[in-house]
Amino acid sequence: MAKPSDDRTARFLQHLEPLKAALEAYCRRSVHDPSGVEDVLQEAVGKAFRDFHLYAEGTNFRAWIFRYLNLEIYAGNRSFHRERREALANEPTVEDVWEHAIDEPLIERLLGEPERILSHCDEALATAIGELSPLERSVLLLRAIGQFKHREMADILEVPMGTIMSALSRARARLRLRLAEYAREHGLLGPGSLQNPK
Amino acid sequence: MNCADVRQHWELYYDSEGDSELYLQINEHLAACQGCAKWFFQQAQFEDAVTAKLAAAEPTAELWQRVLYETGVARPASARGWAFFSPFLALAASLLLVVGVWQFAPQRPPEHLSELTAVVHQQLTDESEQIEFSSLSDVEVEEYLKDRVSFPVRCPPRKDAGFEVRGGGVCTIAGDPAAYVVGRVENKDVSIFILPAERLAQFVHERDVLSREAVHHCHEGEYDMVLAKVDRNIVVVIGRGSPDKLERVVRAYGTYPHDPA
Repeated sequence: MAKPSDDRTARFLQHLEPLKAALEAYCRRSVHDPSGVEDVLQEAVGKAFRDFHLYAEGTNFRAWIFRYLNLEIYAGNRSFHRERREALANEPTVEDVWEHAIDEPLIERLLGEPERILSHCDEALATAIGELSPLERSVLLLRAIGQFKHREMADILEVPMGTIMSALSRARARLRLRLAEYAREHGLLGPGSLQNPK
Repeated sequence: MNCADVRQHWELYYDSEGDSELYLQINEHLAACQGCAKWFFQQAQFEDAVTAKLAAAEPTAELWQRVLYETGVARPASARGWAFFSPFLALAASLLLVVGVWQFAPQRPPEHLSELTAVVHQQLTDESEQIEFSSLSDVEVEEYLKDRVSFPVRCPPRKDAGFEVRGGGVCTIAGDPAAYVVGRVENKDVSIFILPAERLAQFVHERDVLSREAVHHCHEGEYDMVLAKVDRNIVVVIGRGSPDKLERVVRAYGTYPHDPA
Protein backbone atom coordinates (compact mmCIF):
# COMPACT_ATOMS: atom_id res chain seq x y z
CA MET A 1 0.00 0.00 0.00
CA ALA A 2 1.40 3.41 -0.97
CA LYS A 3 2.34 5.70 1.88
CA PRO A 4 0.70 9.15 1.95
CA SER A 5 4.13 10.75 1.52
CA ASP A 6 4.71 8.70 -1.65
CA ASP A 7 1.40 9.83 -2.99
CA ARG A 8 2.23 13.45 -2.18
CA THR A 9 5.58 13.16 -3.94
CA ALA A 10 4.00 11.53 -6.97
CA ARG A 11 1.39 14.28 -7.22
CA PHE A 12 4.03 16.98 -6.84
CA LEU A 13 6.16 15.44 -9.60
CA GLN A 14 3.14 15.03 -11.81
CA HIS A 15 2.40 18.75 -11.52
CA LEU A 16 6.05 19.72 -11.88
CA GLU A 17 6.94 17.63 -14.92
CA PRO A 18 5.30 19.72 -17.67
CA LEU A 19 6.63 22.94 -16.12
CA LYS A 20 10.32 22.07 -15.88
CA ALA A 21 11.28 23.68 -19.19
CA ALA A 22 9.45 26.93 -18.44
CA LEU A 23 10.75 27.13 -14.87
CA GLU A 24 14.31 26.58 -16.01
CA ALA A 25 14.08 29.04 -18.91
CA TYR A 26 12.51 31.69 -16.69
CA CYS A 27 15.20 31.16 -14.08
CA ARG A 28 18.07 31.32 -16.61
CA ARG A 29 16.75 34.57 -18.08
CA SER A 30 16.07 36.15 -14.69
CA VAL A 31 19.05 35.45 -12.47
CA HIS A 32 21.93 37.90 -12.65
CA ASP A 33 24.51 35.29 -11.67
CA PRO A 34 24.38 32.48 -14.25
CA SER A 35 26.14 30.09 -11.87
CA GLY A 36 23.27 30.49 -9.43
CA VAL A 37 20.54 28.94 -11.60
CA GLU A 38 20.69 25.53 -9.98
CA ASP A 39 20.73 26.91 -6.44
CA VAL A 40 17.74 29.14 -7.12
CA LEU A 41 15.76 26.30 -8.70
CA GLN A 42 16.70 24.03 -5.83
CA GLU A 43 15.54 26.53 -3.21
CA ALA A 44 12.29 27.22 -5.02
CA VAL A 45 11.41 23.59 -5.68
CA GLY A 46 12.46 22.58 -2.17
CA LYS A 47 10.24 25.20 -0.54
CA ALA A 48 7.32 24.47 -2.85
CA PHE A 49 7.60 20.76 -2.04
CA ARG A 50 7.80 21.54 1.68
CA ASP A 51 4.60 23.62 1.39
CA PHE A 52 2.84 21.32 -1.06
CA HIS A 53 0.27 20.40 1.57
CA LEU A 54 -0.88 24.05 1.36
CA TYR A 55 -1.54 23.76 -2.37
CA ALA A 56 -5.23 23.20 -3.12
CA GLU A 57 -5.60 20.51 -5.75
CA GLY A 58 -7.39 21.76 -8.85
CA THR A 59 -6.14 25.33 -8.49
CA ASN A 60 -3.37 26.90 -10.56
CA PHE A 61 -0.17 24.98 -9.78
CA ARG A 62 1.76 26.85 -12.47
CA ALA A 63 1.16 30.21 -10.85
CA TRP A 64 1.69 28.70 -7.41
CA ILE A 65 5.17 27.35 -8.10
CA PHE A 66 6.24 30.33 -10.22
CA ARG A 67 5.58 32.50 -7.17
CA TYR A 68 8.12 30.45 -5.20
CA LEU A 69 10.61 30.66 -8.02
CA ASN A 70 10.17 34.38 -8.40
CA LEU A 71 10.78 34.99 -4.70
CA GLU A 72 13.98 32.95 -4.88
CA ILE A 73 15.14 34.79 -8.00
CA TYR A 74 14.64 38.16 -6.29
CA ALA A 75 16.47 36.91 -3.19
CA GLY A 76 19.30 35.44 -5.28
CA ASN A 77 19.70 38.63 -7.30
CA ARG A 78 19.72 40.80 -4.16
CA SER A 79 22.39 38.61 -2.64
CA PHE A 80 24.45 38.65 -5.84
CA HIS A 81 24.40 42.44 -5.97
CA ARG A 82 25.22 42.76 -2.28
CA GLU A 83 28.27 40.62 -2.88
CA ARG A 84 29.26 42.78 -5.81
CA ARG A 85 28.42 45.91 -3.81
CA GLU A 86 25.91 46.86 -6.44
CA ALA A 87 22.50 47.43 -4.98
CA LEU A 88 19.50 46.75 -7.16
CA ALA A 89 18.67 50.39 -6.67
CA ASN A 90 21.61 51.18 -8.91
CA GLU A 91 20.00 49.45 -11.84
CA PRO A 92 18.76 51.88 -14.45
CA THR A 93 15.29 52.89 -13.38
CA VAL A 94 12.32 52.83 -15.65
CA GLU A 95 12.45 56.59 -16.03
CA ASP A 96 16.16 56.65 -16.88
CA VAL A 97 15.59 54.79 -20.06
CA TRP A 98 11.94 55.53 -20.66
CA GLU A 99 12.68 59.21 -20.96
CA HIS A 100 14.81 58.57 -24.03
CA ALA A 101 13.06 59.90 -27.08
CA ILE A 102 11.45 57.08 -29.03
CA ASP A 103 12.69 57.05 -32.58
CA GLU A 104 9.52 55.87 -34.37
CA PRO A 105 11.06 55.41 -37.85
CA LEU A 106 13.82 53.33 -36.27
CA ILE A 107 11.31 51.13 -34.46
CA GLU A 108 9.33 50.73 -37.69
CA ARG A 109 12.42 49.41 -39.44
CA LEU A 110 12.95 46.98 -36.61
CA LEU A 111 9.35 45.77 -36.90
CA GLY A 112 9.73 45.34 -40.64
CA GLU A 113 11.91 42.24 -40.42
CA PRO A 114 12.11 41.15 -36.80
CA GLU A 115 13.23 37.57 -37.30
CA ARG A 116 16.22 38.49 -39.47
CA ILE A 117 17.32 41.18 -37.03
CA LEU A 118 16.67 39.14 -33.89
CA SER A 119 18.73 36.28 -35.26
CA HIS A 120 21.76 38.58 -34.85
CA CYS A 121 20.77 39.98 -31.46
CA ASP A 122 21.03 37.17 -28.91
CA GLU A 123 23.43 39.04 -26.68
CA ALA A 124 21.70 42.39 -27.17
CA LEU A 125 18.39 40.80 -26.24
CA ALA A 126 19.86 39.35 -23.05
CA THR A 127 21.43 42.71 -22.20
CA ALA A 128 18.22 44.59 -22.91
CA ILE A 129 16.29 42.24 -20.64
CA GLY A 130 18.96 42.65 -17.98
CA GLU A 131 18.49 46.42 -18.14
CA LEU A 132 14.79 46.25 -17.38
CA SER A 133 13.62 46.92 -13.85
CA PRO A 134 13.03 43.72 -11.84
CA LEU A 135 9.26 44.02 -12.18
CA GLU A 136 9.39 44.73 -15.92
CA ARG A 137 11.75 41.82 -16.45
CA SER A 138 9.55 39.45 -14.46
CA VAL A 139 6.40 40.49 -16.28
CA LEU A 140 7.97 40.27 -19.72
CA LEU A 141 9.44 36.84 -19.06
CA LEU A 142 6.40 35.44 -17.29
CA ARG A 143 4.35 36.44 -20.30
CA ALA A 144 6.79 35.19 -22.94
CA ILE A 145 8.01 32.01 -21.28
CA GLY A 146 5.12 31.06 -19.01
CA GLN A 147 2.32 32.50 -21.19
CA PHE A 148 0.76 33.83 -18.02
CA LYS A 149 -2.14 36.20 -18.08
CA HIS A 150 -2.28 39.55 -16.33
CA ARG A 151 -4.36 38.13 -13.49
CA GLU A 152 -1.94 35.26 -12.91
CA MET A 153 1.09 37.56 -13.04
CA ALA A 154 -0.58 39.83 -10.51
CA ASP A 155 -0.97 36.82 -8.20
CA ILE A 156 2.59 35.62 -8.72
CA LEU A 157 4.20 39.02 -8.24
CA GLU A 158 1.66 40.26 -5.69
CA VAL A 159 1.07 43.57 -7.43
CA PRO A 160 -2.15 45.07 -8.85
CA MET A 161 -3.28 44.20 -12.38
CA GLY A 162 -2.85 47.79 -13.53
CA THR A 163 0.79 47.72 -12.48
CA ILE A 164 1.29 44.51 -14.45
CA MET A 165 -0.23 46.02 -17.58
CA SER A 166 1.85 49.17 -17.44
CA ALA A 167 5.04 47.28 -16.59
CA LEU A 168 4.53 44.90 -19.53
CA SER A 169 3.86 47.76 -21.89
CA ARG A 170 6.96 49.65 -20.73
CA ALA A 171 9.10 46.52 -20.90
CA ARG A 172 8.07 45.89 -24.49
CA ALA A 173 8.69 49.47 -25.52
CA ARG A 174 12.09 49.58 -23.86
CA LEU A 175 13.10 46.27 -25.39
CA ARG A 176 12.18 47.51 -28.86
CA LEU A 177 14.11 50.71 -28.35
CA ARG A 178 17.22 48.91 -27.17
CA LEU A 179 17.10 46.35 -29.97
CA ALA A 180 16.51 49.04 -32.59
CA GLU A 181 19.47 51.02 -31.30
CA TYR A 182 21.63 47.92 -31.31
CA ALA A 183 20.51 47.04 -34.83
CA ARG A 184 21.28 50.55 -36.07
CA GLU A 185 24.70 50.59 -34.40
CA HIS A 186 25.58 47.25 -35.96
CA GLY A 187 24.27 47.98 -39.42
CA LEU A 188 21.44 45.47 -39.22
CA LEU A 189 18.69 47.80 -40.40
CA GLY A 190 17.92 48.44 -43.99
CA PRO A 191 18.32 46.53 -47.25
CA GLY A 192 21.59 44.74 -47.75
CA SER A 193 22.84 45.79 -44.34
CA LEU A 194 23.67 42.25 -43.28
CA GLN A 195 26.11 41.75 -46.11
CA ASN A 196 28.43 44.21 -44.50
CA PRO A 197 27.67 44.50 -40.78
CA LYS A 198 29.94 46.76 -38.77
CA MET B 1 -13.64 52.54 -32.93
CA ASN B 2 -11.22 54.64 -34.95
CA CYS B 3 -7.63 53.78 -35.83
CA ALA B 4 -6.17 55.51 -32.76
CA ASP B 5 -8.55 53.68 -30.38
CA VAL B 6 -7.81 50.36 -31.99
CA ARG B 7 -4.03 50.83 -31.88
CA GLN B 8 -4.21 51.95 -28.29
CA HIS B 9 -5.62 48.54 -27.40
CA TRP B 10 -3.29 46.37 -29.48
CA GLU B 11 -1.55 44.85 -26.46
CA LEU B 12 -4.81 43.75 -24.85
CA TYR B 13 -5.79 42.25 -28.19
CA TYR B 14 -2.44 40.56 -28.72
CA ASP B 15 -2.37 39.17 -25.18
CA SER B 16 -6.03 38.10 -25.42
CA GLU B 17 -6.73 40.13 -22.33
CA GLY B 18 -9.56 42.36 -23.49
CA ASP B 19 -13.16 41.31 -23.13
CA SER B 20 -14.80 39.69 -26.12
CA GLU B 21 -16.66 42.88 -27.03
CA LEU B 22 -13.34 44.70 -27.46
CA TYR B 23 -11.98 41.75 -29.39
CA LEU B 24 -14.91 41.73 -31.80
CA GLN B 25 -14.79 45.50 -32.30
CA ILE B 26 -11.09 45.36 -33.12
CA ASN B 27 -11.65 42.45 -35.49
CA GLU B 28 -14.33 44.42 -37.30
CA HIS B 29 -12.01 47.41 -37.63
CA LEU B 30 -9.10 45.28 -38.85
CA ALA B 31 -11.29 43.66 -41.47
CA ALA B 32 -12.10 47.11 -42.87
CA CYS B 33 -8.81 48.98 -42.37
CA GLN B 34 -5.76 47.67 -44.22
CA GLY B 35 -3.42 50.14 -42.53
CA CYS B 36 -4.30 48.96 -39.05
CA ALA B 37 -4.32 45.31 -40.13
CA LYS B 38 -0.75 45.69 -41.37
CA TRP B 39 0.24 47.61 -38.24
CA PHE B 40 -1.24 44.91 -35.97
CA PHE B 41 0.43 42.20 -38.00
CA GLN B 42 3.82 43.89 -37.56
CA GLN B 43 3.37 44.30 -33.81
CA ALA B 44 2.34 40.68 -33.42
CA GLN B 45 5.12 39.45 -35.70
CA PHE B 46 7.73 41.23 -33.62
CA GLU B 47 6.34 40.03 -30.29
CA ASP B 48 6.07 36.48 -31.66
CA ALA B 49 9.71 36.62 -32.73
CA VAL B 50 10.83 37.87 -29.30
CA THR B 51 8.70 35.22 -27.59
CA ALA B 52 10.16 32.51 -29.80
CA LYS B 53 13.65 33.67 -28.81
CA LEU B 54 12.81 33.59 -25.12
CA ALA B 55 10.59 30.54 -25.13
CA ALA B 56 11.43 27.57 -23.00
CA ALA B 57 13.77 25.01 -24.51
CA GLU B 58 13.93 21.40 -23.34
CA PRO B 59 14.67 21.15 -19.62
CA THR B 60 18.21 20.05 -18.73
CA ALA B 61 17.78 16.50 -17.48
CA GLU B 62 20.94 16.40 -15.34
CA LEU B 63 20.15 19.71 -13.68
CA TRP B 64 16.63 18.59 -12.76
CA GLN B 65 17.89 15.26 -11.52
CA ARG B 66 20.23 17.07 -9.13
CA VAL B 67 17.55 19.57 -8.09
CA LEU B 68 15.05 16.82 -7.30
CA TYR B 69 17.57 14.69 -5.41
CA GLU B 70 18.89 17.61 -3.40
CA THR B 71 15.41 18.71 -2.41
CA GLY B 72 14.39 15.18 -1.45
CA VAL B 73 11.62 15.05 -4.05
CA ALA B 74 13.28 12.13 -5.84
CA ARG B 75 15.54 9.44 -4.47
CA PRO B 76 18.90 8.54 -5.99
CA ALA B 77 18.78 5.35 -8.02
CA SER B 78 18.99 2.45 -5.57
CA ALA B 79 19.63 -0.39 -7.99
CA ARG B 80 23.31 0.29 -8.50
CA GLY B 81 23.90 -3.28 -9.68
CA TRP B 82 22.24 -2.30 -12.94
CA ALA B 83 25.02 0.18 -13.57
CA PHE B 84 27.30 -2.62 -14.81
CA PHE B 85 24.76 -3.70 -17.39
CA SER B 86 23.61 -0.24 -18.41
CA PRO B 87 25.94 0.18 -21.44
CA PHE B 88 24.70 -3.17 -22.80
CA LEU B 89 21.10 -2.27 -22.08
CA ALA B 90 21.56 1.10 -23.77
CA LEU B 91 23.07 -0.61 -26.81
CA ALA B 92 20.23 -3.14 -26.95
CA ALA B 93 17.64 -0.37 -26.61
CA SER B 94 19.29 1.63 -29.39
CA LEU B 95 19.27 -1.40 -31.68
CA LEU B 96 15.62 -2.04 -30.95
CA LEU B 97 14.85 1.61 -31.65
CA VAL B 98 16.71 1.54 -34.95
CA VAL B 99 14.95 -1.66 -35.99
CA GLY B 100 11.62 -0.21 -34.90
CA VAL B 101 12.11 3.02 -36.80
CA TRP B 102 13.35 1.17 -39.88
CA GLN B 103 10.45 -1.24 -39.84
CA PHE B 104 7.60 1.10 -39.06
CA ALA B 105 8.50 4.59 -40.23
CA PRO B 106 8.20 4.05 -44.00
CA GLN B 107 4.76 2.45 -43.59
CA ARG B 108 3.30 5.34 -41.66
CA PRO B 109 0.87 7.36 -43.80
CA PRO B 110 0.82 11.14 -43.49
CA GLU B 111 -1.52 12.12 -40.70
CA HIS B 112 -4.43 14.49 -41.08
CA LEU B 113 -5.24 16.56 -38.06
CA SER B 114 -8.85 16.82 -39.18
CA GLU B 115 -9.29 13.03 -39.25
CA LEU B 116 -7.61 12.49 -35.90
CA THR B 117 -9.62 15.17 -34.12
CA ALA B 118 -12.85 13.90 -35.68
CA VAL B 119 -12.20 10.48 -34.14
CA VAL B 120 -11.69 11.94 -30.67
CA HIS B 121 -14.73 14.22 -31.06
CA GLN B 122 -16.82 11.20 -31.97
CA GLN B 123 -15.55 9.30 -28.91
CA LEU B 124 -16.33 12.23 -26.64
CA THR B 125 -19.83 12.73 -28.01
CA ASP B 126 -20.83 9.05 -27.96
CA GLU B 127 -19.25 8.83 -24.47
CA SER B 128 -16.93 5.98 -25.37
CA GLU B 129 -14.34 8.40 -24.02
CA GLN B 130 -15.19 10.15 -20.74
CA ILE B 131 -14.71 13.90 -20.49
CA GLU B 132 -11.89 14.32 -18.00
CA PHE B 133 -13.16 17.44 -16.31
CA SER B 134 -16.76 18.63 -16.35
CA SER B 135 -17.54 22.25 -15.66
CA LEU B 136 -19.78 25.00 -16.99
CA SER B 137 -17.13 27.61 -16.21
CA ASP B 138 -14.70 28.66 -18.94
CA VAL B 139 -12.28 29.89 -16.27
CA GLU B 140 -12.30 26.54 -14.45
CA VAL B 141 -11.75 24.62 -17.68
CA GLU B 142 -8.91 26.93 -18.63
CA GLU B 143 -7.24 26.49 -15.24
CA TYR B 144 -7.65 22.73 -15.47
CA LEU B 145 -6.04 22.55 -18.89
CA LYS B 146 -3.21 24.95 -18.15
CA ASP B 147 -2.24 22.76 -15.25
CA ARG B 148 -2.01 19.66 -17.40
CA VAL B 149 -0.28 20.57 -20.62
CA SER B 150 3.13 22.10 -21.10
CA PHE B 151 2.10 24.34 -24.02
CA PRO B 152 0.11 27.55 -23.69
CA VAL B 153 -3.66 27.22 -23.64
CA ARG B 154 -5.97 30.20 -23.84
CA CYS B 155 -9.42 30.51 -22.34
CA PRO B 156 -12.31 28.76 -24.11
CA PRO B 157 -14.90 30.85 -25.95
CA ARG B 158 -17.79 32.11 -23.89
CA LYS B 159 -21.55 32.19 -24.23
CA ASP B 160 -21.48 35.52 -26.04
CA ALA B 161 -19.59 33.75 -28.82
CA GLY B 162 -22.35 31.14 -28.90
CA PHE B 163 -20.35 28.45 -27.11
CA GLU B 164 -21.55 26.83 -23.90
CA VAL B 165 -18.61 25.12 -22.30
CA ARG B 166 -19.19 21.72 -20.67
CA GLY B 167 -15.70 20.59 -19.80
CA GLY B 168 -12.26 19.74 -21.05
CA GLY B 169 -9.34 17.42 -20.84
CA VAL B 170 -6.21 16.15 -22.47
CA CYS B 171 -6.13 13.56 -25.23
CA THR B 172 -3.47 12.14 -27.51
CA ILE B 173 -3.33 13.28 -31.12
CA ALA B 174 -0.67 11.65 -33.29
CA GLY B 175 1.24 10.48 -30.25
CA ASP B 176 1.42 13.78 -28.37
CA PRO B 177 -0.86 15.52 -25.91
CA ALA B 178 -3.54 17.91 -27.10
CA ALA B 179 -6.02 19.82 -24.98
CA TYR B 180 -9.71 19.65 -25.75
CA VAL B 181 -12.71 21.67 -24.67
CA VAL B 182 -16.20 20.31 -25.13
CA GLY B 183 -19.38 22.33 -25.26
CA ARG B 184 -22.45 23.11 -27.28
CA VAL B 185 -23.22 25.50 -30.11
CA GLU B 186 -26.93 25.91 -30.79
CA ASN B 187 -27.56 22.75 -28.75
CA LYS B 188 -25.17 20.68 -30.86
CA ASP B 189 -22.02 19.05 -29.51
CA VAL B 190 -18.88 20.87 -30.49
CA SER B 191 -15.29 20.12 -29.50
CA ILE B 192 -12.33 22.45 -29.62
CA PHE B 193 -8.87 20.90 -29.91
CA ILE B 194 -5.82 22.92 -28.97
CA LEU B 195 -2.28 21.99 -29.94
CA PRO B 196 1.00 23.90 -29.75
CA ALA B 197 1.64 25.80 -32.99
CA GLU B 198 4.96 24.00 -33.55
CA ARG B 199 3.07 20.77 -34.19
CA LEU B 200 1.67 22.15 -37.41
CA ALA B 201 4.86 20.91 -39.06
CA GLN B 202 3.64 17.37 -38.30
CA PHE B 203 0.46 17.78 -40.34
CA VAL B 204 1.47 18.60 -43.89
CA HIS B 205 -2.00 19.19 -45.29
CA GLU B 206 -3.13 21.51 -42.50
CA ARG B 207 0.21 23.32 -42.53
CA ASP B 208 -0.20 24.07 -46.22
CA VAL B 209 -3.78 25.30 -46.01
CA LEU B 210 -3.06 27.47 -42.97
CA SER B 211 -0.11 29.05 -44.76
CA ARG B 212 -2.62 30.28 -47.35
CA GLU B 213 -5.69 30.98 -45.23
CA ALA B 214 -6.04 32.45 -41.74
CA VAL B 215 -9.12 30.33 -41.07
CA HIS B 216 -9.75 27.09 -42.93
CA HIS B 217 -13.12 25.35 -43.30
CA CYS B 218 -13.46 21.69 -44.16
CA HIS B 219 -15.65 18.62 -43.60
CA GLU B 220 -14.72 15.38 -41.97
CA GLY B 221 -17.39 12.75 -42.35
CA GLU B 222 -20.58 14.21 -40.97
CA TYR B 223 -18.80 17.01 -39.15
CA ASP B 224 -18.01 20.57 -40.11
CA MET B 225 -14.62 21.77 -39.05
CA VAL B 226 -12.76 25.07 -38.76
CA LEU B 227 -9.01 25.32 -38.24
CA ALA B 228 -6.91 28.36 -37.40
CA LYS B 229 -3.58 29.27 -35.93
CA VAL B 230 -4.28 31.48 -32.93
CA ASP B 231 -1.26 32.96 -31.21
CA ARG B 232 0.87 29.95 -30.24
CA ASN B 233 -1.87 27.38 -30.76
CA ILE B 234 -3.45 25.43 -33.57
CA VAL B 235 -7.17 25.47 -32.85
CA VAL B 236 -9.60 23.01 -34.39
CA VAL B 237 -13.32 23.45 -33.85
CA ILE B 238 -15.45 20.48 -34.90
CA GLY B 239 -19.12 19.64 -34.68
CA ARG B 240 -22.41 19.74 -36.49
CA GLY B 241 -22.92 23.47 -36.03
CA SER B 242 -23.13 25.80 -39.00
CA PRO B 243 -19.74 26.82 -40.42
CA ASP B 244 -20.35 30.49 -39.53
CA LYS B 245 -21.03 29.61 -35.91
CA LEU B 246 -17.97 27.38 -35.72
CA GLU B 247 -15.81 30.14 -37.17
CA ARG B 248 -17.18 32.52 -34.56
CA VAL B 249 -16.05 30.04 -31.90
CA VAL B 250 -12.54 29.90 -33.38
CA ARG B 251 -12.32 33.68 -33.47
CA ALA B 252 -13.46 33.96 -29.88
CA TYR B 253 -10.91 31.42 -28.64
CA GLY B 254 -8.48 33.13 -26.32
CA THR B 255 -10.61 36.15 -25.52
CA TYR B 256 -10.19 36.85 -21.89
CA PRO B 257 -13.15 36.45 -19.55
CA HIS B 258 -14.21 39.55 -17.69
CA ASP B 259 -12.35 39.70 -14.41
CA PRO B 260 -14.71 40.77 -11.64
CA ALA B 261 -11.69 42.04 -9.65
